[in-house]
Amino acid sequence: MNTKLKVSEISKIYPGCIANDKVSLEFGSGKIYALLGENGAGKSTLVKILSGVVKPDEGEVFLNNESIKLNSPLDAKKNNIGMVFQHFNLFETLSVFENLSIDSDKKDEELRALIKDILKKYNFKIDLDIPVLNLSAGQKQKVEIIRCLIRNPKVLIMDEPTSVLTEQETDDLFISLKQFSKDGILIIYITHKLKEVLSLCDEVAVMRKGKVVSVSNTIDEKIESLANKMVGENLNTIKKKINNFKNSEEILKISNLNFKSDDPYETNLNNLNLSLKKGECLGIAGISGNGQNELFQILSGEIITEGTSIMFRNKEISKLNPRERREYLMAFSPEDRISQAAVPELKIYENVALNNFKSSNFFEKGLVNEKKIKEHSKKILSNFSVNTDNVELKSQFLSGGNLQKLIIGRELITSPELLVCFNPTWGLDVGAINYIHETLIQINEHGKSSILISTDNDELLKLSDRICVIYKGKLSKIMNADTVTAEKLGILMGGGSID
Amino acid sequence: MIKIEKRNDVSRSIYFLTPILAIFLTLIGGGIIFYILGFSPIEALKFFFITPISDLYGLSELLVKATPLCLIAIGLSFCFKSNNWNIGAEGQLIFGGIVGGGVALLFYNHDGYYVLPIIILSGAVGGMLFAMIPAILKTYFNTNEILVSLMLVYVAKLLLDYLVVGPWSNPEGFNFPETRQFSESARMPILFDGLRIHAGIFITLITVFLSWLILYKTYLGFQIKVSGLSLKTAKYAGFKGKTMIIIVFMISGACAGLAGVGEITGPIGQLHRNISPDYGFTAIIVAFLGRLNPVGIIFASLVVALTYLGAETAQIFLQVPKYTGQVFQGMILFFLLGSDYLLFFKIKFLGLRKNEL
Repeated sequence: MNTKLKVSEISKIYPGCIANDKVSLEFGSGKIYALLGENGAGKSTLVKILSGVVKPDEGEVFLNNESIKLNSPLDAKKNNIGMVFQHFNLFETLSVFENLSIDSDKKDEELRALIKDILKKYNFKIDLDIPVLNLSAGQKQKVEIIRCLIRNPKVLIMDEPTSVLTEQETDDLFISLKQFSKDGILIIYITHKLKEVLSLCDEVAVMRKGKVVSVSNTIDEKIESLANKMVGENLNTIKKKINNFKNSEEILKISNLNFKSDDPYETNLNNLNLSLKKGECLGIAGISGNGQNELFQILSGEIITEGTSIMFRNKEISKLNPRERREYLMAFSPEDRISQAAVPELKIYENVALNNFKSSNFFEKGLVNEKKIKEHSKKILSNFSVNTDNVELKSQFLSGGNLQKLIIGRELITSPELLVCFNPTWGLDVGAINYIHETLIQINEHGKSSILISTDNDELLKLSDRICVIYKGKLSKIMNADTVTAEKLGILMGGGSID
Repeated sequence: MIKIEKRNDVSRSIYFLTPILAIFLTLIGGGIIFYILGFSPIEALKFFFITPISDLYGLSELLVKATPLCLIAIGLSFCFKSNNWNIGAEGQLIFGGIVGGGVALLFYNHDGYYVLPIIILSGAVGGMLFAMIPAILKTYFNTNEILVSLMLVYVAKLLLDYLVVGPWSNPEGFNFPETRQFSESARMPILFDGLRIHAGIFITLITVFLSWLILYKTYLGFQIKVSGLSLKTAKYAGFKGKTMIIIVFMISGACAGLAGVGEITGPIGQLHRNISPDYGFTAIIVAFLGRLNPVGIIFASLVVALTYLGAETAQIFLQVPKYTGQVFQGMILFFLLGSDYLLFFKIKFLGLRKNEL
């Protein structure tokens, strides 16, 4: 059974974002293909197109040289394209067999015999009659894989399959995948984990900003070369003047930061220690999903962890919530500007009022001081060149760049001593990126500090005074930015070590 | 091919007009139902919606029914606006009634201006405490407030049953399941002789005004609004999420408790098994029909109160069961949700492309 899958000139445009830009790729059975890219690089969109969840605006998909229409997940099933999503689609209280029989038109006995064959063939050990909630994450994933195998797939797509697995389960999965590949199933493996690509896959396609930037054999690649392709390596930007902070006052000191989550989709943080001087910018690099989200929330006070010490300007703030931390002149710009940093349905001035603390006097004696908030908002709009002066405008009508200017402006107009920002320029156009970058450099020049958590290496090298890398919830040692190169970051981001 | 898309901007005036459309569609739907039952639709609707309020007594009855509905719905709007689904207002009403009624029985044969305020206050506190159960279980044990608040309705109902049959039953009442009639000083003052409309309406109006003030002019209201739109943002802004959940449930429970105590000290005058014709559940419809807006809720409570009256008139004149009132309430909610769907989403009919045929 020889399978060829080809996507040709696939484009998908969402409002304000080109998710797939003329993507063309070819796959053939017998090999395992990696589709590698950052969050937002467009790999999920491509996979959704292949599984019929999303329809492309342009382009075609060919299976064995025949153009196929994938208008719904049902079409994908009909064309023998199987898909295992990152989040499982199982009914926890039903048994394994019930879960598998839901979308099967086979008779129960027939189906059971078929499943037994599959279990035997691939050496899966799963009791078919226990409820799914009693299974481990790895076993649940096997149930999803069996669901695909029942339909004799020609193509099997795995979306970030190891994010919830233990190392042992990951090894087991790789053995199975290699076996499927031998049996003639074409496997497309979506991931942002570089080591997995090298240990499992034969060919790798790297996507960045909606485009395929490289296709190569994994034998020819190293962790750092892939990392650079993923995050971009053109370093012809102007670096910030690096200062020496040896004698500056220490403004933030974090020791023993540990975080253990009950949610398998979150990353645990392990013994993070860092300190920051006045006027300094600390960059934290890393491939997304390595604990950046959790770190940001701990810095902002959205997550309170036990046993962690956060000293800010000689005060212990680790137990304070975000609003209380703002009183101490901290400011935060989260990654998700559309649904977290601001609420699209709220007017601009209402979104400004979110950054509220006692001295802002937005709310006096519990009452809204609308006049004060509006005046303050007008100031932000003009000082941070947001292209409107109407504070009554709902913020959903602002473009990404203007919304981000509003958010950064809201956070900075109070002259905070520390700004923590997470991917501040994600998805913005060049003009807005430059504006945000200039602003971030300016606050350092005025003696204010910043922590920049970013997945964009260009940005980090441009703005940071010192850089470290977060990998699987651990921080690398903190290096002076002038000694850091993209190659070094690449190695650390992939879990390697330098000198 | 049919494609459903979210509309980007929904006009504010149309947002507040769709409830009126829903009421209009309900009238048409009701007319059709009456026609199928063999009545002249116009006549039947007239019996349902016009006859009940064509005299002063009818208008007074309308306000008597609207008073608790509006009060409960206002309370619920605090919960619903902040994404807390308090479905148990009926239970909070009954529990408020129980506590208020208990105090009224305690003051049996006491005279004095202080009696009624104490009863009203204890009713509000009763409802408030009862609403805190789902709130605390939600915040500290992650339970689902829909289930807990709903199940507590039956707890309150059974407790009331037990009390009026057992320890609180009227010693001279020949074992009827009811308490003594409260003494005169424990009753809401009647506003007009011969009509049942009572001072509870002022409590409702004051609550409406205070709610408007809280929702639109205070920091608490701002927090409720933001939490309702995005919990992630509320967390990021540092709002004390747990405290807020408990506060909105307390407000909501207190309003329901007030409604309960208003009923037993107003039109009913004692405790018995059926102190509320499901006001607590119907108020959910009122809250949404009124767009969770204090002024909207006033109008919505009048409309829904009318379905209660209409059902009674229809029962007398058309010999249809009074449950037709619930049919109408159901239709209002159905048409409201339906028009809301079309308001927030647009349906696109795409021609089939040739190669898809």
